[in-house]
Amino acid sequence: MPPLVRYARLYVIQAWYAWRSLFGWANPFSYFTSKFGFTFFSMLMFIFLGRFVGLNDPVYIVIGNILLIPAANCLSGISMTVGNERAFGAMSYLLGSPAPRTVIFFGRGLFHILDSFLTVAVGLLVAVSIFGLRFSGMNFPLALLAVLITAFTTSGLGYITGSVSLVNRDGWMITSTLSLSLYILVGANFPVSALPEWVQPVSYALPMTRGIMAARAALDGAGFGEVAGLLAGEVAVGLVYIAVGYWLFRWLERKSLVNGMLDSV
Amino acid sequence: MPDPAISVDHLHKTFTSRSGFWRRKAKTTTAIKDISFTVERGELFGLLGPNGAGKTTTVKILATILLPTSGGATILGHDVVRETQAVRERIGFTFGGARGLYTRLSAVDNLLYFAELYGLAPAVTRRRIDELLALVGLDDRRDDRVETYSSGMQQRLHLARALLHDPELIYLDEPTVGIDPVGARELRKTVRELARRGKTILLTTHYMAEAEELCDRIAIIKEGDIVALDSPASLKKRIPGDSLVEIEVRAADLALLQAALKDLRAKCQTLAGDDGNKKLSVRTRQPEAVMQAMAPFIASQQVRNLEVRNQTLEDVYISIIQGKKP
Amino acid sequence: MIARALRLVRQQVRVQFQVRLFNLYSFALYFIQPAIFSLVGMLLSRAAGNPRPDLIYTVIGSGVLGMWSGLVFSSLYDIRADRRDGTLELIVASPTSLGTVEAIRTMANVLTGLVSLLAAFIIAVLVFDYSFAGVNLAAVLVSLLVLLAGLWSLGVFLANFTVWSRLSGSYVEFLEIPVALVCGFMYPIRILPEWMQAVSTIFPIRWALEALDAALTGSHDLARLAECWGLGLLLSFLFWGVTRLLEGRVHDRIRVTGEMRSI
Repeated sequence: MPPLVRYARLYVIQAWYAWRSLFGWANPFSYFTSKFGFTFFSMLMFIFLGRFVGLNDPVYIVIGNILLIPAANCLSGISMTVGNERAFGAMSYLLGSPAPRTVIFFGRGLFHILDSFLTVAVGLLVAVSIFGLRFSGMNFPLALLAVLITAFTTSGLGYITGSVSLVNRDGWMITSTLSLSLYILVGANFPVSALPEWVQPVSYALPMTRGIMAARAALDGAGFGEVAGLLAGEVAVGLVYIAVGYWLFRWLERKSLVNGMLDSV
Repeated sequence: MPDPAISVDHLHKTFTSRSGFWRRKAKTTTAIKDISFTVERGELFGLLGPNGAGKTTTVKILATILLPTSGGATILGHDVVRETQAVRERIGFTFGGARGLYTRLSAVDNLLYFAELYGLAPAVTRRRIDELLALVGLDDRRDDRVETYSSGMQQRLHLARALLHDPELIYLDEPTVGIDPVGARELRKTVRELARRGKTILLTTHYMAEAEELCDRIAIIKEGDIVALDSPASLKKRIPGDSLVEIEVRAADLALLQAALKDLRAKCQTLAGDDGNKKLSVRTRQPEAVMQAMAPFIASQQVRNLEVRNQTLEDVYISIIQGKKP
Repeated sequence: MIARALRLVRQQVRVQFQVRLFNLYSFALYFIQPAIFSLVGMLLSRAAGNPRPDLIYTVIGSGVLGMWSGLVFSSLYDIRADRRDGTLELIVASPTSLGTVEAIRTMANVLTGLVSLLAAFIIAVLVFDYSFAGVNLAAVLVSLLVLLAGLWSLGVFLANFTVWSRLSGSYVEFLEIPVALVCGFMYPIRILPEWMQAVSTIFPIRWALEALDAALTGSHDLARLAECWGLGLLLSFLFWGVTRLLEGRVHDRIRVTGEMRSI
């Protein structure tokens, strides 16, 4: 088999089983609830929180939270795949195999990105039927492009927290705190401009912020030219996170050869 | 006449599991087909059998953790399905492996916790904990967290936990699994001591030597049925011949040797050996005669290796489990 | 008899604290998640142009949310960990009933949740200058007790449901936010659609919270307060009763299926 085909096979097959193993035990109910449950109900909570303080239009919150789904999925999904491998002791076998590391590493993310993308599409359809979101005047393909890009860039954050989960059994804590703070930081429930000024740079240093802005603009009917800058910025930020995540993974792998920490649970 | 310690009557247990994403398929597996046996008070009774034969399921039914699908059992005259409370007060049990302890707590804390679940009075609890930790040899580590214990120490703590309320009947499910030889010997010593004190013990194990050494009687379970039940000595008598002579020979010389052994009327079995050699396994009451017959072949180095050993319970077990008529 | 019961309670509570409640997971549930929801509430309020957030709902309400989340997950996690560690079998096979053990543990979990509420009060006072002036303190205390009873009754109900099967825990997990949503932890119930308000009436904590909010805003309407307290206690009693009825069945079921260990 030529190396490229071999790697492609490894990438897809590995990714498929890594993703499947997360849901393999589950029934349809727990699959859907783990995908939509918390996100959907917290969105309702935010809508009511907004209504209580006098924000009567839920659409802003609805769109923001739907756009957040891929991010949350990528973040916790990738983190969990890696974390479970550690908890079940599979990591040693994986790293002990001759498979190329890059393929293994990025394989953790593939199906989470695809899965999230579908989730958003479903989420938007639900929003249309429940919250009266209207498709007319929307630049829907552009919005989906923005979503896909955002899912991809967020995977970088997932790789970083995933690497942390690899060495620390409490790594999920960072993941969950991070994914919860996204409700505040990336402009999902209110514009970034509503944050105190000193927090705003943090928002712009995170993936998702520009992607969500671009998607919102596209849903308002903006053309590609208007959001190209935002999307380019999103890709740039995302690449930085992916690079850092990959570097961290390799560094931890090398370190574990010395101190065996990937085995310790 | 007092009730027997354990009386198992046509016990049958199936499990139903479901799998599949959209259409959930139900699959029924039979763990126990039809098991009956009786254990007298003060007896040390062994349950042997391969993985998945139904040993642990049987023990769990007798411990009131599982309900039988049909059939029943009584423990010291109490029904395991209807009189669970009475049964629970009278039994102590351990399951193999390190699970079942609060690893963040010390040995003493674990024992205190379970003592409370068994409703022991505080004075009794303190005395029992001291006694038991001494019995299982953990008194010097009593206040250390269980997560710092070796698996052997955790097993011993399990035994102490099972004995807290001074039960009349003790189930030990693979008590020496994962323990080093010295630790296992210590544990066997403790088990013998318990038997000496008149406890009834139900032991499951994979180690034949252990069963042979400890048990008064042994039941061998295979695929959910009891296929043999007797004392270790009687079980061993089931296989004719008391000794086993194992001869390793070049394949080319096999026929020659078989001819030489023919007059001895010993039961021969040929097995594949290493490097194209054959292994001849001879069951006989006259190992000396076999050795004599082999002497010329040893001298000519046609016999590569020769070993004489007594028939063990393991031989019996393997011949029963592999389904060959002994 | 009473001495034995007290010892059992003491022992269970002690182990509960040592083994289960003091860890990062609880910390996230009792403090981080409610803090995030509280911050979202405050920033939404800011985005809507309000000068300051509503302290009772947005800050103190998040403390109640922490109590609830902590309870749901500690009840769930107790059973999950017992399944994983093999201790569920040991408890079931002991002469003390699993129901009793669950009742005591849930009490420990509920009382631990008070740290979340306490933290919320401290932040309200220190950061937002919340003042207890004009608060009907006696009614606040009674409402808190009713809230604890309500939380406990839901906790034992959910714990029993978690015992049902290896997977039933995922349904319990799923209930965390919906119940918080309809019971009005962080906003008054009146802003909810009517059908949600109707759903909320079956939850004892909803009535306790209504009384708590009224007492915190200085209500002395004893008739209404008593009505809420009464309904809260009655529903708590009902949840507990239903749990007792189902308990025997659930415990028999796991002895048939053998779902006392995780795979």
